[in-house]
This record gives sequence, C-alpha cells and structure tokens, in this order.
Amino acid sequence: MSMSRFACMQALGARLSDELVILSLGGAVDEWFNAAPHMREGSLFQQQLGCVSAEAFGLSVGLPHRRIVSLDTDGGLLFNLGILATLGNEQPQNLFVVVWDNEQYQSIGGPRTHTASGRVDLAGIARAAGVDNAYTVDTLEAFDEHCAAGLAATVPYIVVAKTDGVLEPGIKRKHSDGREDTYTFVRHVERTEGISIMGPSEHN
Amino acid sequence: MQKTGVEAVLRGLERAGVSVATYLPDSLLKELYPALDAAPDIRTIPVTNEGEGAAIAGGVFLSGKRAVLVMENSGLRAATEHLARLGLGSGIPVVMIMSYRGEMGENNWWAIPHGITMEPLLGALRIPYRVVRREDEIEQAIVDAFEWSYTAYYHSAVVLGGEVVR
Repeated sequence: MSMSRFACMQALGARLSDELVILSLGGAVDEWFNAAPHMREGSLFQQQLGCVSAEAFGLSVGLPHRRIVSLDTDGGLLFNLGILATLGNEQPQNLFVVVWDNEQYQSIGGPRTHTASGRVDLAGIARAAGVDNAYTVDTLEAFDEHCAAGLAATVPYIVVAKTDGVLEPGIKRKHSDGREDTYTFVRHVERTEGISIMGPSEHN
Repeated sequence: MQKTGVEAVLRGLERAGVSVATYLPDSLLKELYPALDAAPDIRTIPVTNEGEGAAIAGGVFLSGKRAVLVMENSGLRAATEHLARLGLGSGIPVVMIMSYRGEMGENNWWAIPHGITMEPLLGALRIPYRVVRREDEIEQAIVDAFEWSYTAYYHSAVVLGGEVVR
C-alpha cells in the first residue's frame, strides 16, 4: 500500500507556520508549492540531488532555535547516504527529515530507484547510521502522527513516506528559478530573524 | 603544516567571522583539523565526502552564519556536482580552503591527479582562487575570499601549497 504525496504534503503543511523548509527536485517541488502555499517564502526550492538534507542540516546548525524541515527524496538521499552518518553523529535537535520515497526518478519519467527492489530500507539505513528515530510509513494517518512527533523532537527524526508516484493533476507550476528562490527564501529568513544575510555590499 | 601556519588560518577565519567549519581531513593540513576542533568560536562538522560538506556550508550561509569547507584538493572533484548546483544554480556560495596536493615537487604518484585536475576544475566552475605558498599571506587570503564570496554570492577558494604545507 502507498499513499498520495500531495495529501501527505497537505497534512504536513497544516502543521507548519514559522518553520523553514528545504526541498528536493522533481514533481515534489510543484506539489509543495501548491500543497502549502503559506510556506512558499519559508521554503527553499532546490534542484539538487544529494544536497537537500545536508543543506537543511547546515541551516539547522546556523539557526538552532528554529525548526528546520528537509523534504528529501529516495533518489536524492541515495545520492548521498553519508549525510545519515553525519546526522547520526551530530544529533541536531531541530531537524525533521521527510523522505518522499516513490521508488522512482519521477521527474525524468519514472525509472526505478534502488528502493523499488524492496530490499533497500532507507529508514533502516538511517537507524544503523545513528539516527534512532527513523521510520517508514505507508498510510496518511501514520505519516501525520510522525510529523507531529518529528516536529517536536529534540533529536534528528526521519520519516520515509512510501508514496504512489502519481503526480497531483492540475497543479500550478512554480514560476521561478534557483536564484530567485534563494533570494526569496533569504529575505524571509532575514525578516523573521531580524538579520542581514545578503545585504548591500557597495562600499565605494 | 607549521603551527604558525595553522594560527594564520585561524586568524583569517576569525577575521572573516567564520563560526562553522566542515571538513574531510587530509594529510597536508593534518595539524589544522585538531586546531579547528579546539577553536572556541568554531563548530566543526566532519563529513563523509566533500560534496556533503559543501552542501552543509551552503545551508549555514542561508542562516546568516559563515562556514568554511576545509579539504584536500582532491575533494574538489567529489564536490563539483554539489558546487555547480549550489553556486551556478542557486547563488549559494561556499568558501573553501584546500591543500595543494600534486603541485610541482610532489613525490606521491597517487597525488598527481589532484594537481592536474584542481586548477582546470576551478576554472571550469569559474571559481576564483589564490594559491598561497607563504604563511604571511594566509590570513589576508582567507579574509579576501570571504569578502569576495559575500559580494559575488559565489564560491571562492584559498589553496595552501608550497612551504606552507610541506
């Protein structure tokens, strides 16, 4: 059994307000853009296989008082499994990682990832790497329960969501590139933290 | 690496406002890593590969703090995918300090690829860099790299070579 990623995103989004989100590539980008419109400025939309949870961890290090959410994918996490060992060692207190596992590289038409074999268990790998709270879910109810727990946890928390690979039909495409997304996100962090990150740099 | 060189790196990082260092340790800079670990104002994060280190450093940038990625120059190859996407795709800068393995004078066969590929790779990624072979130039090179990267919002690198690391 597997579930709709979009429905999961709506459930997660309903729990978020001042959290910061970094998310991976593919269909998940446009789905998150539509599933949690109130989080658009507080979400960094990346197109970076293997970067997302590492970036989210870096953000959590820099803002230890803020809850950071990483929306990673099976393909993205498999690209850099080492981040799990780093999270296991570093034990961030404010990082919640969701792995959308649809067992395919959806954005290029659906070739299988390694999780499609049924032998590769990302949550199991995470636990063995020292992230004790790592779970696999395949129902919306269980996903929502883990979101509640993960958003309140003071240890790294990972939920691998087995989703059906059906891209939500009729959704609006995000209309911006990576640089614009970075500025939008950074301005949101600056405003909500009262800091300057990409400030004026003219001195002459 | 001499103690004075290590101290120069730490002074440069302090002047640049760096509070996080991600690293994958190597032999030429081996004295630097425990010094970073011991620096009271720097949190160190050992990583499993340099691409991961680049991504973590990029995440730190987004928080308003400053991070550095420290590694052997071979790490540039491992990090190229991440650096290209972070820097060219999203305008998220990473400042790197790397040892110059494989430069003229190298006597390890396995290090030759590192020297041959480093500068062309930095060029391919359009990353400005300064090769520092004198200890008295280390501190300012680090300060300059951060100044540039936080103006350009793109990566830069300080490469420690010559008598600085041998």
